[in-house]
Amino acid sequence: MENLVYIALFAPFVSSLFALMFVMVPKQTFVGIVASLLLFISFLASATLAYHIAMTNEVIHVTMMDWIVVGDLSIPFGFVADHVSVTMMVVVSLVSTVVHIYSIGYMDHDRSFNRFFSYLSAFVFSMMVLVMSDNFAGLFIGWEGVGVCSWLLIGFWYHKKDVTRDINPSISPSWAANEAFIMNRIADLGMLVGIFIIFWNTGSLQYDEVFPKLAELSPVVLITAAIALFIGAMGKSAQFPLHTWLTDAMEGPTPVSALIHAATMVTAGVFLVIRANPLFGMEEVAGVSYFIASLGTFVAFFAASMALVNRDLKRIIAFSTLSQLGYMFAAAGLGAYWIALFHLAAHAFFKALLFLGAGNVMHAMHDELDIFKMGALRKKMRWTWLYMGLASFALAGIPPLAGFFSKDAIIESAFNEGSLILWAMLVITAGMTAFYSFRQVFLTFHGDARYKEFGIHPHEMYTYVLIGMSPLAILAAIAGFGKDWFEGFITNLLPEYEMSEHTHHLASILGAIVLAFAVGGILLAAFKYIKGLKRSEKTENSFIYRLLSNQYYIPQLYAEMISKPYAELSSIFWKSIDMKIVDATVDAIANVVYKSGDGSRKMQSGNLSNYLAWMVFGAVALLIAALISSAIG
Amino acid sequence: MDNILSVLIFFPAIAGLLGFVIDKNSIRAYGISVAAVEFALSLFLWATFDGTSAAMQFVELIPIVPDFGISYYVAVDGISLFLVIMATLMTLIGIISMSVKNEIKNMVITLLFLEMTMVGVFVSLDVIVFYLFWELSLVPMLYIIGAWGGPLRVYAAIKFFLYTFTGSLIMLVGILFLAFTYYDIVGVWSFALTDWYQLKMGVNVQLWLFAAFFIGFAIKVPMFPFHTWLPYAHGQAPTIGSVILAAVLLKMGTYGFVRFSLPLFPDASVIMIVPIAVIAIIMIIYTAMVAYAQEDIKQVIAYSSVSHMGIIMLGAFAMNTQGISGSIFQMLAHGIVSGAMFMLVGMIYDRRHTKLMSEFGGLALVMPRYAMIFGIMLMASVGLPLTIGFVGEFLVLIGFYKVSPILTILAGASIIVGAVYMLSLFKKTFFGEVTNEENKKLLDIDARETFSLVPLVLIVVWLGVYPTPILKPIDVSVSSMLELMEAKAVKPKTKELIASMRSEDKEEN
Repeated sequence: MENLVYIALFAPFVSSLFALMFVMVPKQTFVGIVASLLLFISFLASATLAYHIAMTNEVIHVTMMDWIVVGDLSIPFGFVADHVSVTMMVVVSLVSTVVHIYSIGYMDHDRSFNRFFSYLSAFVFSMMVLVMSDNFAGLFIGWEGVGVCSWLLIGFWYHKKDVTRDINPSISPSWAANEAFIMNRIADLGMLVGIFIIFWNTGSLQYDEVFPKLAELSPVVLITAAIALFIGAMGKSAQFPLHTWLTDAMEGPTPVSALIHAATMVTAGVFLVIRANPLFGMEEVAGVSYFIASLGTFVAFFAASMALVNRDLKRIIAFSTLSQLGYMFAAAGLGAYWIALFHLAAHAFFKALLFLGAGNVMHAMHDELDIFKMGALRKKMRWTWLYMGLASFALAGIPPLAGFFSKDAIIESAFNEGSLILWAMLVITAGMTAFYSFRQVFLTFHGDARYKEFGIHPHEMYTYVLIGMSPLAILAAIAGFGKDWFEGFITNLLPEYEMSEHTHHLASILGAIVLAFAVGGILLAAFKYIKGLKRSEKTENSFIYRLLSNQYYIPQLYAEMISKPYAELSSIFWKSIDMKIVDATVDAIANVVYKSGDGSRKMQSGNLSNYLAWMVFGAVALLIAALISSAIG
Repeated sequence: MDNILSVLIFFPAIAGLLGFVIDKNSIRAYGISVAAVEFALSLFLWATFDGTSAAMQFVELIPIVPDFGISYYVAVDGISLFLVIMATLMTLIGIISMSVKNEIKNMVITLLFLEMTMVGVFVSLDVIVFYLFWELSLVPMLYIIGAWGGPLRVYAAIKFFLYTFTGSLIMLVGILFLAFTYYDIVGVWSFALTDWYQLKMGVNVQLWLFAAFFIGFAIKVPMFPFHTWLPYAHGQAPTIGSVILAAVLLKMGTYGFVRFSLPLFPDASVIMIVPIAVIAIIMIIYTAMVAYAQEDIKQVIAYSSVSHMGIIMLGAFAMNTQGISGSIFQMLAHGIVSGAMFMLVGMIYDRRHTKLMSEFGGLALVMPRYAMIFGIMLMASVGLPLTIGFVGEFLVLIGFYKVSPILTILAGASIIVGAVYMLSLFKKTFFGEVTNEENKKLLDIDARETFSLVPLVLIVVWLGVYPTPILKPIDVSVSSMLELMEAKAVKPKTKELIASMRSEDKEEN
């Protein structure tokens, strides 16, 4: 079993190195195939481990070697396959296998095909390190590793130049990549501080040593640790106010968006909260957890509102990812950790499917992303239409698809906690989700064929790619039925979450309300868009519409209030302070020395009477000095 | 090999002298051979070094002026060993990668002399001998900047020399006063550092002496606000000069703090924790912002050096083994990474004779290998885990967190501001379209350049993944130094503080 842990972990690493060997040569299809195979091996190993754990309840823990050992700080490379990590491993390796296969088709005309696979596999390896590590420092390795791979992959088409925000809200891939990296780094500082607090108060960073000691710690320590760790989680999972990088990250190739910016990496923050549930679940930090739930609910609503009016196919899905991450945080904050994890997994399947479908559309539309320029694509792309329709139904929470079970459980737990405001917002958001998802489906696949005006001849994706996507479609459809089994499996490790009698009693009514909102959203979208696009100048110029389509002007605000002042202040520091004050002072002192020497040189006049005068002056000066020093004693 | 340290010190100098009779066409090969032998010797030193012992090893002691207790006294411990190895490594790689064409014979001989002074500084335990090597190291660097530098080379060289020399003179006054104090208390003269370690001094005396040494070291590091000689020196120096300056010479300052200030003046050091930390934080944030404002690639790296030296200073004053070991590790990390960075900048300068970012853009397309190595070094510089840059930074921050959470959070901004200037540099230089016609036909790095960079890349990854071989001896020596500090501190509060830094303290925070 230990070998399986290493296989699951290192197969993606081998894949990355393998692809790296071909990074300087033109496209080699076998690089993609070998990479996909290695990822599939990783998936098989993960699945076997999951089966083993499900059968025996045995947690597999391996320690490879020491990493950093100084004084009483000891950090090993240790990995653990328990119920939580193995769930993540299966999800990550499964989605990445599909995305690897998909990429063979999607990236087939890209001259950097080999490089792409190297980065993509390196990402999977980092993600595996993140979820499998048995300590906070190891998690941080993966945490930063996925950050770098994300940077590399968002900026994959680095040769594109910067344009203004009106043309492309993300400016350029390289700009978006740097934004993502730096914004994550801000949050990472919080994460590091959390690690420091944990180490100095428990003397360890190993989960199995830290968690039992939490009960001995003072509430202040616990609360600061929880806040610091959650700040880290906010960065990776793009929670407000660190959310702008996620939509800009759509500059990366679409398989990247599917894998990293929907299914796996962005859920790392949620994973962290779930992993550290012994901390976040404590009475003392209940305030922090409630804040997490509230922020999650707010982000769910806030992101959905921006998705309502967006015209960019990928950005709509990105906003929906943001919104669904909000749902996951809501669940985790309310203590329903296993429900959060369940939604994480279900979301990974249908969201990756949705993104890959969007990739098919982009491929067909020659990289056009504006849904106002599409329409009627279902005639040309039947399978993609089916996939995206299915994924959208799942996202909207229509039974019996996966999203229904997981999202319904989250909304129910909000009600169960008595947080009616959170509950109401989550219900309304469910309606909005259904609306924007189907607005996008109808505008893309139904109505009038607007793409003809632009001379585009769409075509369906390669068959093997469509087949490759099928596992995700199947899981998006049926994963919900595994809910009860999953609850039994995962609550061996995670705390159970019991709905109260009252909630239980009302469960069917609550479910019906959510469903009504979802169906209402779909019907509204159908009513408005199924026949075709009717644009209204009045709506589009209204304040609310402009506010939403400009993302509440937050990117502009950041540019004006943070980026520009930082650049200006830097410039002032350099030109005015460093050069004009600090360095000029040094030169001035040197000049004084030089000038005084130059000036006193005139004493050496060769005139004997001058020398005598100076001698008298010196003698008097010495006399005075002697007098003063004797007076002082 | 009982006298391996003497061989290490004087072999390059003697070989350098012989270099005068070597034909100038083969001087480069000669220089590389000498530096390679020297490097192999330093590796041999490491192989025979006992990493589990904190004692001074390979001791050589020959009295020179017995009446004044001045002797030729050299030895290594975990703190100095790796700095010696880094000095020999960077000299070797520097000579391999060197692209200087004119007066190459003088350059190689100068570098070999410089190598002698660098090794000498790190292994000397007699303070007078230490001071000799410390001052001697200025001369070759003065010559390198002044003779092979850019248009402002004379100004930059004189500034470098006078500024650091002034600081050293004040340190010399401190050294003499300390020797006199020793004589006053003990009754015999000694300049042996290990003797001085045993000396207990009043807090006031410690503070004055701390100040005298501080000026000497702080200018060398360079600490804010004494750092302005550095951008000029780097701006004008040839690549090889910048590599050695950033990789090794700056470390002499931080090494001085760890070797002298901490164990000699424990009470003063503890009193100065917060002031030093504040300066370190200014270095980290302020110079990182100044780096962001630069237009010249080399200046970005130069200012980034100051920023990283801030981390090293912070760790040195963490008063626990995590922080100080991290600080020493970070000295090595910064040496490797900034050395590589300056070499990389030199390579592009050789091709285009400009270092302005605005002249470039899209280099990743025309020079992919170059971009890849630059990218790896960039990630090491911003402290990515599993690269050499993370280990030191992490240890410094975790160590200093025990001293002050607030100051650590401020210093931790390093991971943000560092990423800002580095990524912005990378984007401006390597990303985007190739807009400048002259860049379209640039050649990727050749075999010689690859050969000089790849070892550094391997070290960056190796020590990032498995730092133990280096961290362990450092840890052993640092722990014993901390015990010494605790034992000889005169104020009970100092003892308490050093003790509390060592073990976990549940009440705190």
